Amino acid sequence: MHEMGIASSVLETVRKESRRGERASRVGVRIGEFVAVDPDSLRFCFEAIVKTSDLAPLSLEIEWCRAEGGRRGDELQIAYLEFEEVEVAT
Amino acid sequence: MNRVVIEKSILSENNRIAAELREALTASGALALNFISSPGSGKTMLLEKTLELLPAHTRLAVLTGDIQTDNDARRLLRYGHPVRQICTGGACHLDAAMVAKHLEGWLLKVVQLLLIENVGNLVCPTSYDLGEDAKIVILSVTEGDDKPLKYPGIFRKAELMILNKIDLLPHVPFQLELARENARRIHPEIEIIETSCTTGAGLGQWMRWLEARAAKKVAAASAAATRNHSQPGGWNAQLEVQCQRRTRQSRLHAASVD
Repeated sequence: MHEMGIASSVLETVRKESRRGERASRVGVRIGEFVAVDPDSLRFCFEAIVKTSDLAPLSLEIEWCRAEGGRRGDELQIAYLEFEEVEVAT
Repeated sequence: MNRVVIEKSILSENNRIAAELREALTASGALALNFISSPGSGKTMLLEKTLELLPAHTRLAVLTGDIQTDNDARRLLRYGHPVRQICTGGACHLDAAMVAKHLEGWLLKVVQLLLIENVGNLVCPTSYDLGEDAKIVILSVTEGDDKPLKYPGIFRKAELMILNKIDLLPHVPFQLELARENARRIHPEIEIIETSCTTGAGLGQWMRWLEARAAKKVAAASAAATRNHSQPGGWNAQLEVQCQRRTRQSRLHAASVD
C-alpha cells in the first residue's frame, strides 16, 4: 500500500506550493503506467487522509499516462494546482 | 480560481535525498545496487553467495530491508562485513530517507560496494529511488514466467534481471526462454543472468557482472574527479560527511545489527 505514502507526499507538496492568501482547491497528478501506482488506491488513500487534514476540502484529479505519444509511462508528478483566494487576517 | 502548473515529482523529497546519496557515492566511486524481487525469490541467499565469493579484502556494506525481524542481517553478518537491518515496521518498500538514516555513523570511507536488499515486493520499491547505480530484479523459476508482463514497472527500471533457482527447472513448468522474451518485451536492453545459489551455476557470470559494474563506477568517478580538478577524497568521504551531518549520535562501528 505505498499509495498511502504517495498520497502523503502529494499533500506535502501542496503545502509547500501554497502561499499565504491562497487555498488549494484541486491538485492534478500524472501517473505513468510503469510506476506501479494504482489510481483507485491512490484516490482512496488521498480521500482518507485529506479529509482530516488542514488542506480539506481538496480534490484530486489523476491523469493516467500510457507509454505512447512521447510519454515514457514513468510519470509520477504533480501536474498542477488550482488555488482560490482567501481572506487573510491582518 | 487560479491554476498553476507545477510539473514536479510527487516523490521530490525522496528524490532530493536520493540525489544527495548518489552524488556522494559517485564522487567516491562506490557502487550501490538495489536488489528487488518478490518475497522468497532468493535475494538474501544471492547476497550470501556474493559475500562468500567476493575477495575477502572487498570493502562492502549491506543494508537489508524487511517489515519485521533482523533474520536476514543475522544471516549476512556471518561473512564479516558491516550489515544493518532496516525494519520498516509495515512499509512495503525502502525509501531514500531510510537508507540515509541507516548509513549514519558508518565508517563509509571504507566502502567500495553498497548492497541494498529491498523489502520483498515487486511493486512498491519500483517507485523509490535510493540513490543506487542500478536496480537488479530477481525472478525465481518457482514464480511465473509471465511476471515481467504482470509487473512491468520493475522490469523496465532494472538494469539486470537475475533468473534464480534454475536448479529447480526440471520440477516446475517455468519456461526460461519465455521469461527472457517477456522481460525483453518490457525492457529490450535488460541484461539477464541465470543462477542457482544451491549449485553455484551462473554465479561466476554474476560476479563478473558485478566486477565490471564496479570498475565502470570507479572509472566514472576518476573521470569526474579529473574534470573537477579534484580528488574523490577517499572512499565515500563525501557520503560520510553528509551522513555525519545527519547523525545525532555518531556510532563508529556498525558491524552489528542495530
